[in-house]
Amino acid sequence: MEYLSTDKILVIDLATSKIEETALDESLVSEKIGGAGITKHLYEKHLNDDPIVIGTGLLTGTTCPASASGLITAKSPVTGKMCHCPVIYKVGIEIKFSGYDYIVVKGVSDKPVYLWIHDGVADISDASGIWGKDVWESTDSLRKFMGDDLLQTMMIGKAGENRSDYAQICYNYWSSPDRFGLGKLFGSKKLKALAFRGMGLIEVADHENFVRRSLEILKEIKTNDFMTKKGIAEIASAMGEAGVEEWLEPIVHRHSADYFTPYATNTAVFLDEDPKRVEESKVAEPGVLISDVLALLAFKKLGLSAEDAGRALKACAKYGIDPAAVAELSGKSSLKEIVDSFDGLSGTVTLKGKGSFSPWCPLKPIFNDFGLSGDAAEAEAWWERRQAVAMIFGIQPIFSVMCPELSEENMLELAAIGTELDLTQEILDRVVADLLK
Amino acid sequence: MNLYQSNADINIKLPQGKAGYISKGNTDIRISGVPDPECRRMRYPRIGIYAGSGTSHSWLWFVDMFERMGFHAVSVLDAPAVRSGRLQQMDVLAVSGGDTVAIAEALGEDGARQLAAFITGGGVYLGACAGAYLVMNSSKPHLCHFNFAAVKITNLSKRLPTCQSMPHKFSIAYGCEHIFHPVREAVGLRLTGVPPFSGEPALLVPLYGGPGMLAPPEAQVLARYDHFTDKTVFLVDKDLAEETLISTAAALRVPMGNGQMYLFGPHFEHPHYHRANRLVADAVYWDSRRNPDECSPVARDALQLPTSESANLIHSLRRELSNSRIVAAGLEMFPVWWLIGAKAYEPEKIRVFLDAMWRRLKPLEKRGRIWARAGVPDLLMADACETTSLLRQLKNELDQGSVTDPTARTLFHLLHRNTMRFFELYFQTISNNLTP
Amino acid sequence: MGIKIDALKCINCMACEMACSYHRDDGFAFLSACIVVYRAREKQDYFGVLIKEEEFLKVARPEGLEVNRIGEAADPNKKADASVKPMLLREGCDLCEDMDDYGPMCIAICPVDAITLE
Ligand code: SF4
Ligand code: SF4
Repeated sequence: MEYLSTDKILVIDLATSKIEETALDESLVSEKIGGAGITKHLYEKHLNDDPIVIGTGLLTGTTCPASASGLITAKSPVTGKMCHCPVIYKVGIEIKFSGYDYIVVKGVSDKPVYLWIHDGVADISDASGIWGKDVWESTDSLRKFMGDDLLQTMMIGKAGENRSDYAQICYNYWSSPDRFGLGKLFGSKKLKALAFRGMGLIEVADHENFVRRSLEILKEIKTNDFMTKKGIAEIASAMGEAGVEEWLEPIVHRHSADYFTPYATNTAVFLDEDPKRVEESKVAEPGVLISDVLALLAFKKLGLSAEDAGRALKACAKYGIDPAAVAELSGKSSLKEIVDSFDGLSGTVTLKGKGSFSPWCPLKPIFNDFGLSGDAAEAEAWWERRQAVAMIFGIQPIFSVMCPELSEENMLELAAIGTELDLTQEILDRVVADLLK
Repeated sequence: MNLYQSNADINIKLPQGKAGYISKGNTDIRISGVPDPECRRMRYPRIGIYAGSGTSHSWLWFVDMFERMGFHAVSVLDAPAVRSGRLQQMDVLAVSGGDTVAIAEALGEDGARQLAAFITGGGVYLGACAGAYLVMNSSKPHLCHFNFAAVKITNLSKRLPTCQSMPHKFSIAYGCEHIFHPVREAVGLRLTGVPPFSGEPALLVPLYGGPGMLAPPEAQVLARYDHFTDKTVFLVDKDLAEETLISTAAALRVPMGNGQMYLFGPHFEHPHYHRANRLVADAVYWDSRRNPDECSPVARDALQLPTSESANLIHSLRRELSNSRIVAAGLEMFPVWWLIGAKAYEPEKIRVFLDAMWRRLKPLEKRGRIWARAGVPDLLMADACETTSLLRQLKNELDQGSVTDPTARTLFHLLHRNTMRFFELYFQTISNNLTP
Repeated sequence: MGIKIDALKCINCMACEMACSYHRDDGFAFLSACIVVYRAREKQDYFGVLIKEEEFLKVARPEGLEVNRIGEAADPNKKADASVKPMLLREGCDLCEDMDDYGPMCIAICPVDAITLE
């Protein structure tokens, strides 16, 4: 596959340390488009080895607005079914730039390892130095060892190592959309982390047309009212949650976006530093970056102050545990009790949706109504489809539920221009139907 | 069309024994398969690029330029190689920028004798910037062995003028005098029309510390500094810069015995200046005549590695170069530089060496089997791994605000050495498998 | 004329860096951009944008703009400050002179209009 692709699929067997590379066939892209379409195909192909399939969307890392997302497809320890977990921040694009479109990790290692994926090279490395460390220490340690502050990681903490059902794979330092307990899967494979970095170049077929259309779509997007807003609290307000903005505002530092995502879906709060400080903080760990609006709301509903909610989220991110599960199952309302509950957490979490896509993304339209009538079943079907499409093309999932201009038609058009393949609505419908089966 | 294509085409034919002729046309240098009364027969030259002690990264510009034009019979030489007589197997020697005195010191009297014998025996010497200063008459220690051209330097002064910008790039001691650099970056030249520089009336080239020159009677002036451009950065007052450079010689052809020295103030070999690069190629064709009918077998002692060993070597190199590049890219963030010899080295220069190798891994892979002298692959890998660990150490030292000079010095030395080694292997491989 | 960046408006999306690199490489990468998003202090949530011009390096920090003449900031005695990026060997901003349809690509792509022409 020449365009919008590294043309490479990596298969790593942790049991045998065997590393194989295959080309990404154009025919597979013509049939499955990309992202979840292909990770599902690879998952099924390697099903007997309980694979974790990491991938990128066909448009990930391009000039298509919000093309930030990658994904992890694996069997969820929470649901027992195949799920697709978005890879956000700048981690999603780094997968592609590090040289692979898809990475299949199969088998179980007999000792802790991490995978170092860089510039089209994959190394299975000894993780004994970071096994036992929390997510933040581990990411710091890998960054320091590699001498690179921009190294991007998927990391588990103690929850994953101890195989907690609620263990979450974190990205760099932060909580992730992993509601599926994939951290436990990592832990059971003795896979502490994947680290990505690359300086690759992605070719695009008709680059002039691709960029021209991307900028036209961006222009349409910029007519939205949401372009005057930023951050997680405004998302909460749009979801109908009152009072979140005032509650959070005193600790808000700045808002930031995933790669080329026009809306800043992430909010950094400062807990041990003046939030209004604009100079670089001298405090080593002044706060936490929040992307999980539902977990934040859940802590608020437990009666926590914004600061304590921030501290709880930070503690979850360090421990590598799903904060929404903690909020739901701990039943506690003080920060200390919540943090103390990590180890012994038990019970069944409520997962909204059908279990394929992460309910970390709000299950309703945000800022725009997308022409929905208000019927719950219709909204659910719309959300599932919207997530499937986002996970095929590599679109930031939350942005996909706020931005109608990022229509299926537009994504298909860009994909066709960028690859010179005849990618039609029928093909997309077929791939989506297969994902929603 | 790719400006280099015509050179590349000829350089495929010449080693196959096909004849090519170069002559001065009315407005241009003419290259043809048919001889005319004024023509010179073209040779596929064996080219040595000096990359030993004292050079900066700019020898890689010669590498890029020659490679793109299809001159693949290239050897990268260090000072011991020059001193031990390797030059006598070459038709051309290119010496680029760096620390002139350090180059002279490294080559020493023996190197100077070898160089003199090479040129007088019909060799072509291409000296850019430091390479040009090197062969100019001088009474200074080390340089005094290289009194090959009675060229006068116009940017030499007993008293340093006031520096307006870039103090770390401004001047260099030259005995009790100073060579100062009035401007940097792109300057405009006017060409005199003397062959082989007949094809271009005017040209832009970058100047990074090279001389303004006054030619001795036996020399031909090929180009003069004509004007500054909007890209020119002034390190001294503009009037003084004009007085020092404008109308002085920027390129000379100076005879020595049967050979010729081409002395360039600016970097004609800089990879972004394609038209200037072509003039250098014309100079090579025009004056290469040491080995009339012998094509260029490089590295007679190189061996061909088996396919699997070749693939493993490339994979391992890719791994280590990637590890190194990733750290080096991050180092670009740091506003440090190191004084190594008389030259300032910024962190970005690390990547210049690494990227020069990195870019060639794919072409090398396409050749299938690698040619190398025994032991070279192991040395290459050992130094590549050591480079990564030194880079990581350097990054840690920078993060902690500790002294980085010793690490940087070792690192640049290692990088330089390994890049030379890599290019030895690279050119051996591509010149031994001329078609991929 | 030059590029002006409002660092406080910036949402650290890296689109400008991609667009600038695209304008040099005709593909998607971050290799040759002369506008670069500084994001090495992730835990501190500190980010800004740097742009290399022919003679100047402009550092748009949240606390204000810093303009360094290239070369002058280099002081071997100065403790390394990783938030300044000299990028000396990259080509300087040419205001996308060859991108006739768009003008400066970074301006066209910045979703929050943090980049303008001054
Ligand atoms: S104007 Fe063009 S060259 Fe200059 S920074 Fe923006 S994208 Fe890069
Ligand atoms: S495109 Fe705009 S918002 Fe995004 S990083 Fe650049 S300046 Fe910041």
